[in-house]
Parts: sequence; C-alpha cells; structure tokens
Amino acid sequence: MKKYWQITKTSWSNGFVYRLNFIMWRVRTIIWFFTIYYFWVAILSQNDQVFNYDSQTLLTYVIGTSFLRSLVLSSRSVSAGMEIANGDLNNYLVKPINYLKNWLARDIADKALNLAFFIPEMVIIFLVIKPPFIFPNNPWYFVAFIVAALIATLMYFFFSFLVSCFTFWYPEHNGWPLRFIVFMIIGFLAGDTFPLDIFPAVAQTIFKILPFGYFMFYPMQIYLGRIPANQVGLTIIIMLAWVFILYKISTAVFKKGLKVYGAYGR
Amino acid sequence: MSVIKVKNLKKYYKVHQKEPGLKGSVKSLFKREYQSVKAVNDISFSIKEGELVGFIGPNGAGKTTTLKVLSGLLYPTAGDVSVLGFTPFDRKPAFQKQFSLIMGQKNQLWWDLPALDSFILNREIYEIDKKQFKKTLDDLTKMLDLKDILKIQVRKLSLGQRMKCELVAALLHSPKVLFLDEPTIGLDVVMQQKIREFLKEYNQKYQATIILTSHYMDDVKELCDRVIIIDKGTVFFDGLLDEIIKKYADRKILEVTFSKPIEKKDFKTIRAAKIKKFDPPRVTFSVKRKSANSVAAKLLESFPVADLNILESSIEDIIREVFTGRDLS
Repeated sequence: MKKYWQITKTSWSNGFVYRLNFIMWRVRTIIWFFTIYYFWVAILSQNDQVFNYDSQTLLTYVIGTSFLRSLVLSSRSVSAGMEIANGDLNNYLVKPINYLKNWLARDIADKALNLAFFIPEMVIIFLVIKPPFIFPNNPWYFVAFIVAALIATLMYFFFSFLVSCFTFWYPEHNGWPLRFIVFMIIGFLAGDTFPLDIFPAVAQTIFKILPFGYFMFYPMQIYLGRIPANQVGLTIIIMLAWVFILYKISTAVFKKGLKVYGAYGR
Repeated sequence: MSVIKVKNLKKYYKVHQKEPGLKGSVKSLFKREYQSVKAVNDISFSIKEGELVGFIGPNGAGKTTTLKVLSGLLYPTAGDVSVLGFTPFDRKPAFQKQFSLIMGQKNQLWWDLPALDSFILNREIYEIDKKQFKKTLDDLTKMLDLKDILKIQVRKLSLGQRMKCELVAALLHSPKVLFLDEPTIGLDVVMQQKIREFLKEYNQKYQATIILTSHYMDDVKELCDRVIIIDKGTVFFDGLLDEIIKKYADRKILEVTFSKPIEKKDFKTIRAAKIKKFDPPRVTFSVKRKSANSVAAKLLESFPVADLNILESSIEDIIREVFTGRDLS
C-alpha cells in the first residue's frame, strides 16, 4: 500500500510544478460552470418550470453536477492510453507494481487536488452570485449521495481505463479518436449538461441499462430526493454491480492487450 | 551456473503494410495487408552469473527485442526463456526485484521533478529498507559523482547527467541482472568513458550479470569479453571477442612510411597487397594474413622504407565486414 501512497504524493508534487497550467485549468473549469449555469438561468427566466424541474432544483442540479465533474470525471488515467501507445508502459511492466493501482493512486491525487480547489471556488461563487441551492430534507439522502458519488468515481475510473486499453489494438494518435467519442457520449448520456429525465420514457429505460447515467445523473437524483427512498438502495447496488463488471472487463482487456503489446518506442 | 537461458526463442510481429502516398492511405482504410516480421528467429544462448556480455548487430537485428523478451515486456512467439529461474513474462514481483532494464533512449525518471523524487518512489516500489536505500544511494552517487544535481529538475539536466540518474534509479534495488540497451547513446566521449568505467566497477563489485547492446564498439571492447552477434534475428557468432579476430579477420594491415617520394603505380608489382589508404609518404596496405610477412619483406627489399608496422584489422572493420559480407580491402 505504501508504494501507492508514494505515487499519490509524487503526483501531487508533479501537479504543482506548472503554476500557469494549474491556474488555466481552474479557470477553464469555472468558465464551463458559468456557461451551463447561465444557460439554465436564461431559460428559467422565461419559465418558472422547465420540464419537470423548478428553478431551484434545476440550478442545484447544475451546481451538483459541477461537483461531480470535479470528483468523478476528473481522471488522469486518460494518459494510460498514451503510455501504451508510445511504450512508456514498459517502465511499469518491469517493476513490482500494479499498473491499474498505479493509475488509481494518481487519480486519487488528482481528484483530491481538484476538490481542494473546487470547494473554495464554490464558496466564493456562492458569496458573489448567491445561487438558489437546496439541501436534502433527509440527511440520509446526503449520505447516500456521497456514497453514490464515490462509487461513480470508481465506475468512471475503470471505464476510462478500459477505453485506454483499446490503444493496444488501435494506437493511432495515442487512442484519442476513441477517447473523443467517449467524451461526447458522456457529455450527452451522463447528465452533465442536462438531466436525463427530460427525455421520453423509452430513452430513460435505455439510460438505466447503460452505465453512463450513473456517473452523474443518478447520484444527483438521489441528492435531490427524486428517487424514492426504497429505490435508493437498489440504485447503489446497480452501481456496485457496474463497478464489478467494469473492473473485470478492464483488467481482462488489459491482460489480453499485453499479449499483443509491442513495447514500441524504445 | 546459468542465470539466463534462452532456447529456440522466436518473436514474430504482424506489421501493417501501406503503399506510399494518398492513394495507398485511402486503400489501407478499406483493406489492410499484414506481413509477419521475424524480429527474433530461433536464437539460443546462456549466460553465467557475473558475466558481462555484449550484444551487437546492425539496427533491426533483434537485439532490443531479445532484451524486451528477457525483461518480460514481450511474449515470445515460441521458445523457452528463463532469467534467474523465472519465466520473465510471468512478471512475478520476486523476479522484478532482481533485475533492471535501462534504455538509453527513454527515461523512467519523472521529467518535471528532481531525480531524488523518482529515487524515493523507487524505494517504495521495490520495498527497499530505508537504511539500505541510503547506503546504496550514497555509493552510487559517489561512484557517478552526482551529489550536486539530485535536487535539480530532471528536465534541466544535461543528457549525460540524466543518463547517470537513470542508472541510479535502475540500480537502487541492487539488481542481480542488468539489461542495458544503448546506455551511452548520444553521450560525449568523456561521459561514455565514465559510464563504461562505472559499469565495469558495478559488475565487479556486485557480481552482477549484464547484457549490453551498443553501437559503440568501444563500449563492447572495454567491457565485454564475450560477445553475441545477432543479425536478421539469428545468432551469428557467440564467443570471445578475440575469437572474432581469429575467425573472421583473414587480412592484416601494413602501415608503411617511405623515406623517398613514391607513386601508386610503383606498387603494381606487389599484387598481394591492396592499397587501403594512400597518403604519401605514408601508405596503408591490406594483405591476406598468410602473405603478410612475404609482402612486408618485399616492400623492405624493393622500396626506401623508413618505418613498417604489421597490424590486425580493427574490430570495427571486422564486424562491418561480417555484417556487410564485403571485402574491406
């Protein structure tokens, strides 16, 4: 365990090296937040209710997904694809270290760093624009939301690693062509830009089967109390099952990939 | 006892072939043709504990592929490979803690952090005892004269300094087996010499088994008694460096300095000697080994010779001859 903790610490040190890059990345995150936030503010100024959401609930959804973006979708493991394509994976394969755990340790470092900046930024945003924000009536919903967010983080980690593994077979542009498609799908199907329950019932049935909605949409539904209390447990069980499935698939694909790995670039 | 055993190793790659130009690119979108490349084709050798063996061969001969198979990076297509009693591609931690792979063209150090951060990370990865780590680090930094640069960002180090740090990172866990792929590539002659001296010292001090590939014959000449020559994926020669000279050098070099002006046509009568270099008053001849003495005698007898030396062909020349199959004379 100690070696992975050291990887986390080294990743932090590395993250702080480029101050400008660091600041620009935070600025990017804030601009994205304002874009979505004011998009919905503009729509809500014309209508009290949009789809099934009143203004307070929808804006809370926007702020909540912004938090989940920092926690769930921030992932350095995108670079795993690059390491596979350019042969840097060699460095890990010759050492007594688990590649998947290595990326998990680096992701934890990155997410902690993200949150460390997200929280004070949000405090400032709250003080300046005073957005309407709902806290759950029942504290258990809040606890369930945190649990769901953490499980979603693991789900996304294994999913992202799986996408990186396809670079073994398609090393073109370090795996970015596939990665772009995945970003688009997630932007659309995870509930990042709008809640998924604005779609027709058929689409929602499909969303329930796919893993993407569990990255952001369903955890936010738990937070907002829009999932009946007796179904919260089931949602969490489905998410845990997804963690297990994605873990199994990603490790199996990684093992298969190693057999075709050319260890190029050296 | 053999530490490394390789028997009938084969490694074939499937490579996608594309015709040149835009037409070829469009065609390859729909139909791809693959060709099997035999990077390593049935090689066998074994290496004893403490041996320092040079792997030489032209680019694409299969040297690096062999090292990658020995390190467990690549699955062999066929054959048996054993290093320290382990099958490398099982990638058992017990095996990984006992060997190191150093590639001159790539680094394992964190680029934006001082080398010391990468060393500490390796300490945890290899689970090295803190006291032992400090002792090994002190030893290595002293041997490589590195003390002042450990806290400087790796990206700001010179190539030579970086290579030295790479060596330290790879040796902190005191590996018993070392695979070095072009460790002196791109370095100036002084730094090459320093790295060589270090490797020699390390080999002797720790009885480490080392395989070294290099395009610089000086590396091989100074460090390795035994060489394995690989060409087109097969072992061409495996033996002592001196034996290459005996086996393949069928010519000797005569370096003659004349005391009076001479011309090329003057040597027409000595058919057994071919002029290698004509730089009056100095002329270098290449002659068959068996006729070296008679040619020397004839030169002394028929020409105003101030000085004459009979030399062996250089190892570089011999190996070049072996690879190209050309006569050097």
